[in-house]
Amino acid sequence: MRLLLLSSLFAVSALGQTEKFGAFTNSGDVGSPPLKGSDDFDASTGKYNITGSGTDIWGKSDQFHYVWREMSGNFAVSATTQFLTEGVGHRKAVLMLRKNLDPDSPFLQLAIHGDGTPAVQFRSTKADNTNTVDFPVQGPGTWKLKLIRQGSTTTFWIGKGDSPLRELGHTINQLGSPVLVGLGVSSHTQAATNTVLFSDVAVDRLP
Amino acid sequence: MRPLFLALLLSTSAFSQTENLGLFSNSGDVGAPARKGASEFSKGQYRVTGAGANIWGKQDQFQYIWREITGNFTVTATMRFLAQGADHRKAGIMVRQSLEADAPYADVVIHGNGMPGLQWRSKAGEDTNTFDLPFSGPGTFQIKLVRTGVKMYMYIGKEDSEPKEIAHTEVSFRNPVLVGLAVCSHNTDASDTVVFSNVSIEAQTPPAP
Repeated sequence: MRLLLLSSLFAVSALGQTEKFGAFTNSGDVGSPPLKGSDDFDASTGKYNITGSGTDIWGKSDQFHYVWREMSGNFAVSATTQFLTEGVGHRKAVLMLRKNLDPDSPFLQLAIHGDGTPAVQFRSTKADNTNTVDFPVQGPGTWKLKLIRQGSTTTFWIGKGDSPLRELGHTINQLGSPVLVGLGVSSHTQAATNTVLFSDVAVDRLP
Repeated sequence: MRPLFLALLLSTSAFSQTENLGLFSNSGDVGAPARKGASEFSKGQYRVTGAGANIWGKQDQFQYIWREITGNFTVTATMRFLAQGADHRKAGIMVRQSLEADAPYADVVIHGNGMPGLQWRSKAGEDTNTFDLPFSGPGTFQIKLVRTGVKMYMYIGKEDSEPKEIAHTEVSFRNPVLVGLAVCSHNTDASDTVVFSNVSIEAQTPPAP
């Protein structure tokens, strides 16, 4: 309820930076993981420390911590991610587009797993199974992630360490507008939290 | 009663089992495209001609040359389109649950413009999912599909490059499945012919318990 109320309050704010969430407007746990997540934005460095728990962002419903804003139309989102804590190999840090805050909401994400597996994952309709496209494991590290949404086509790029961004490919989805655009963290276990540092975060509207 | 009987007759006659189809046992059109397709095997090459609206959305139209298989396997092929056509005409290696037009499937395809794609329908009648790769234009492609349990791996190599692992997705099929080569013109008024060579199918023996 509180998230909902906050959402309608902030929906009118445009692309301006907020003191508390930078490029985003809201944060909260999706899917009620037993261990609560948290987030901390440092306006002087533009860095986000996001701590999330939860079983996964997978299957028919999700548990994770989300920092997000509402957007419509075409846009680009990019961030550099680094896991600050050890954990399960398939813990995830994601750039996510999500229809709503329901745990079984349709979504589309570019994920980097804790073990360094990049993946494009999506749930096309409410409570449907998650689809995945997993790329060869390149090992843990610092990862640059970027996506561009143009109509129903979303294109993805990744780069490990100092490597330049490399285009992975694109998929087609019907998420439409508005969508919630943001950063997510799931520990892939209800027994732990994981913290991810997101830096160089950019969210830009595109024509 | 009579239409049912006819339908049964037609559905069996659409799938040929009489010719030598190399590694495959059958060929035929899926989804009853208006223009009929054909598959020929000669001198180690498969010439597959297919028409049809697309392999996409909730149902498909294409020419398929296939066999039944159970468990894990690797299929490879070298392929090229023989003529011009729609940019998104497609051809490749397909795993399919059945010959129904809306059956679950997973395929590794090359589009006419050279764009490789990993595409799949998880359940009968659902929308197709796609992941399309960056591309540099048409040509001869080496493609490979590996099934390991629910995982479907895509390998692609262009011209003389060895096929490289690109990505995998997950699709749950019941055994047995159909595996084969598919060609679709992405245009109900045209056919496209694709030549597949160096085709291999290797069934993996399950690891010892």
